[in-house]
Amino acid sequence: MSKHRCYIQGSAAISAQPTFDGDFFSAPLTTTSANNLVAMEPDYKAFIPPNSLRRMSRMLKMGLTTALKAVQNSGQPSPDVIITGTGKGSLSDTEKFIRDIEAYKESALNPTPFIQSTYNSVNGLIALQQKSTGYNNTFVHRGFSFENALLDSLLQLAEGNVQRTLTGAFEEMTAEHFYIKSRIGFWKEATIGNAALFEHNTPGSISGEGSTFFLLGNDKTPHAEAVITGMKMLYKPSAEALNKALPQFLQKHDIQPGDIDLVITGRNGDINTDHYYRVLFSAHCPHTPEVPFKQLCGEHDTAGAFAVWLAAQILKRRALPAILQPYVSHLPKTFRRVLIYNHFIGEQHTFFLLERV
Amino acid sequence: MEALKLKLKEQIIEALNLQDTKPEDIDDNAPLFGEGLGLDSIDSLELMVLLERQYGIKVEDPREGRKILASVQSMAEFIQSKQPA
Amino acid sequence: MAERVFITGMGLITAIGDNVMENLRSLRLQQHGMGHTRHINTIHKEVLPVAEVRHSTAQLAAIAGVPTVQGYTRTTLLGLIAMKEALQSAGLTETDTPSAGFINASTVGGMCDTEKVYFDIIDPEQHGEFLDYIDTLDCADCTQRIADETGIGAHIATISTACSSSANALMYGARLIKHGQLDIAICGGTEALTRFTINGFNSLKNIDKRHCKPFDLDRNGLNLGEGAAYLVLESESQVKRRGAKVLAELSGYCNANEAFHPTAPSPEGDGAYAAMKNALAMSGRTIADVQYVNVHGTATLNNDASEGKALLRLFGDKVPMFSSTKPFTGHTLAAAGGIEAIFSVLAIREQMVFPNLNFSDKMEEVDVTPETRLLEQFPVRNVLSNSFGFGGNNASLVISKYE
Repeated sequence: MSKHRCYIQGSAAISAQPTFDGDFFSAPLTTTSANNLVAMEPDYKAFIPPNSLRRMSRMLKMGLTTALKAVQNSGQPSPDVIITGTGKGSLSDTEKFIRDIEAYKESALNPTPFIQSTYNSVNGLIALQQKSTGYNNTFVHRGFSFENALLDSLLQLAEGNVQRTLTGAFEEMTAEHFYIKSRIGFWKEATIGNAALFEHNTPGSISGEGSTFFLLGNDKTPHAEAVITGMKMLYKPSAEALNKALPQFLQKHDIQPGDIDLVITGRNGDINTDHYYRVLFSAHCPHTPEVPFKQLCGEHDTAGAFAVWLAAQILKRRALPAILQPYVSHLPKTFRRVLIYNHFIGEQHTFFLLERV
Repeated sequence: MEALKLKLKEQIIEALNLQDTKPEDIDDNAPLFGEGLGLDSIDSLELMVLLERQYGIKVEDPREGRKILASVQSMAEFIQSKQPA
Repeated sequence: MAERVFITGMGLITAIGDNVMENLRSLRLQQHGMGHTRHINTIHKEVLPVAEVRHSTAQLAAIAGVPTVQGYTRTTLLGLIAMKEALQSAGLTETDTPSAGFINASTVGGMCDTEKVYFDIIDPEQHGEFLDYIDTLDCADCTQRIADETGIGAHIATISTACSSSANALMYGARLIKHGQLDIAICGGTEALTRFTINGFNSLKNIDKRHCKPFDLDRNGLNLGEGAAYLVLESESQVKRRGAKVLAELSGYCNANEAFHPTAPSPEGDGAYAAMKNALAMSGRTIADVQYVNVHGTATLNNDASEGKALLRLFGDKVPMFSSTKPFTGHTLAAAGGIEAIFSVLAIREQMVFPNLNFSDKMEEVDVTPETRLLEQFPVRNVLSNSFGFGGNNASLVISKYE
C-alpha cells in the first residue's frame, strides 16, 4: 500500500471540543478543571429513531451517531465495509453487568448490558442502520485499535474490491475506570485541567474520550477532506528502532523532512513518555511547526483517530484552528502535508501521513 | 386484575425505557411484539427478567415465554395464575 | 498476483487436550470435554455444563513456563501454551519471531481474573497483590504478554467480534501477508471461562443444562468452553525461503454482516450463506469440491436453523458431510474459529470427519442431518469452517489440502 492514495470522503468527531456541530476552527478551548475531559454529546434524537435509542448506552449512541454523521458529511452512499477500533468498548455496560451479577446474585439478569459490552456491538448497530452487509470487523488493541482498523481499510481499498469503507474509533471514560487507572498512575496526581496540560513536569496525563469516524474511498469525491497516504505502526520500539523508522517511513513515501508543513504529536504532558516526541523531531525535523492535540481530547486508547481527524480538517481548511496557534512560533507557509506521530503509554507508536486533496 | 395490568404497564415502560409511552397508550390486548409496541427478542428477555424480579416467576423456556409475553393481558393472566389466591 | 497463504504450524489447548495431538486423540476416541466448572465461583456450577481446561491457573503457568502467575491471567496462559506449541510445530525460533506478526482474538480479555478482584480494585481501602491484575481486563493485555514472552514484534493486533473473533484474526493475518506487510502471521484466539460470560449467555437464555445437541430437534442452547488456538500463516515465498513444511492452505475466507439483529441470526441464514459462498469463490473451489463443513453449530435454536438453511441454499441437495465439534470443546467464543480451523487442518491431514455428538433427530424446520459417525480414511481435500457471532458477524474460512 506504499503508493495507495485513500481519500477521506467525509468524517465526524465527537470530542470534548465543539467538533461535532460547532465552529471548531474559531472556538476557544473548552476546558475542564478536573483531569478528565468529557465528550460534548450531541442530541442523538436527530440521528437515531427513539425505538432504537431507548436501550442504547452512552458509548453505543456516541459511536453510532458519529458513524452516521460521517457518512452524511461525505454525501456518499452507505459503506461496503465497516471497521472500527476501541480499546475498552462500552465500559459502562461492562461495569453494569459485573455489578448486576453481584447485586442480583447471578439470577434474573438483564441481557442488555452484556450484549452492549461486546466490543463489536457498535459495529453491528452501524451495519444494521446502514444496511451494510459487507465485511465488518472490530480491533481492540489499546493504541493500535484504530490504527489496525485503518490499515485493514487501506488494504481493502487497495485491493479494489470495495468502494467505500467506514472506519472509526470510539472510547468512553467512566468514573469507575478513571479511578482504576489512577491506581496505576495513568493520571496526574495534582488536578491540573487540560489548559495547563503541558505546564507541569510530572508523570501521568489527563483522561479523555470520544468518537471519530471516516468514510474512506479510492475516489476524490466533492466533499473529500484529505488524503491518507501512509501509516506505520511500531510495537514497543527501542530508541534506536524508532530513530531509524521515521526516516525510513518518509523515504518510503518519497518525501523529505522539509516537505512536511506541520507535525501533530500525541504529547500528553507525561514526563515519562513525552521524550519520544522531543527526541524524534529534534533529530529529524527540528524546524517544522509542531502542535500537540491531547489537550483537546484527553489521553485515551483511540486518541490517534482524533489526530487524523484534526489533520484532515487542517488540510481541508488550509488553516490552523485558533486554539492551536499559540503552540507554534510561526504558522506553516502552506498546508500540503501533515505528519502525525502518536504513541499510547510508550507502547504502541504510530506515524500517519496525510496530504491535502 | 385491572390494578395489576396498570402496574404491569408502568413496569414495562420503566424496564424497557419506553420514554414517550404512557400506560394508557398500551392496549391490554395489543401485541407487545412486532406490530404493536415494536418490541423485539431482547425486550422479551428483559420482560422475563421483570417477571422474575417483580413477581418471582421464572420462565425457563423461551418458546413458552413468547406466549406469556404476547400482550399485557396474557402477562397479567399468567401472573395471576401463578399467585396464590 | 497476491501470495498464497499457507498454514505451517499450529498449537492448541482445549478441554479435550493440552495440545494438538491430545485433541486429535480425544476426537478419535469420541471423548468430549463437558463437565462442571472447578475454577469458577458461580451459582450455576452444578447446573450448567462447561468444557473447562482441567488444569488450575497455577498449573497452566507451569505448563506455559512462566515463573510466576502474578499478572498472568488464565486467558494469557492458555494463549501462551497454544502459542508455544504453534511456534514449535512451525519450527520457528527466537530468531524468527521478531519478524512475525501476531493477530490475536479475545472476547473479554482478562475478565476471568479481574472479575474475582474487581470490587477490591474499585475500593480505595483495599490494597494487595490484586493490583497486578488491574490492567489485564482489556483484550490487548493477553496479546502483548504472549507477544513479549515469545519475542513477536513485527505487527500486533487484537480482534473482538464475539464468536467469530479468531476466524477474523486469521483473515486479517492472511490479508497482511497477501499485501506483503508480513511474511509470517500467527493468528487465532484465546478464551477463558468467566462468571461474566456464563451469566451473559444465561441472561440470553441460550445455555442448555444438558450437553449441547447441535442440529438436533431437541436442541436448547450452547455449552460454553475455554481454550486457545493459534495457526502459523506464511506466504508462499517465505515457505520456500525457509523450507517450511506446509500443513494446509488457507485458500479462501469471507466475513459478511447480516445487518439483521444485534444478537440473532436472520431466519434464512443470509450472512452465513454470503460468507460461505464468497469464501468458496475466493478459494477458486466449487461446492462439489467441499468434502466437509465444520459448522458453527452452537446448538442454539436460532443458529442451527439459520445455518442449516444457509447450507441448503448453498449446496442444494448435495450438502457435504458436516458436523459441529462444539459438543467436544464447548463454545469457546473468541477461540472457536482458531480451534475449528485446526480441526479442519486435522480433517485434511488425517483424512477424517469428526462426529457431531449428541444428535438424534433432525430439526423440523430444516432438512439437514449432521454426520454422527467418526469417518476415517475419508478423502477430505477442502473444508469450510464457519464462525458466526453477535452483531451479525459471519465468517467462513476455506482450508485446503496443500498441492
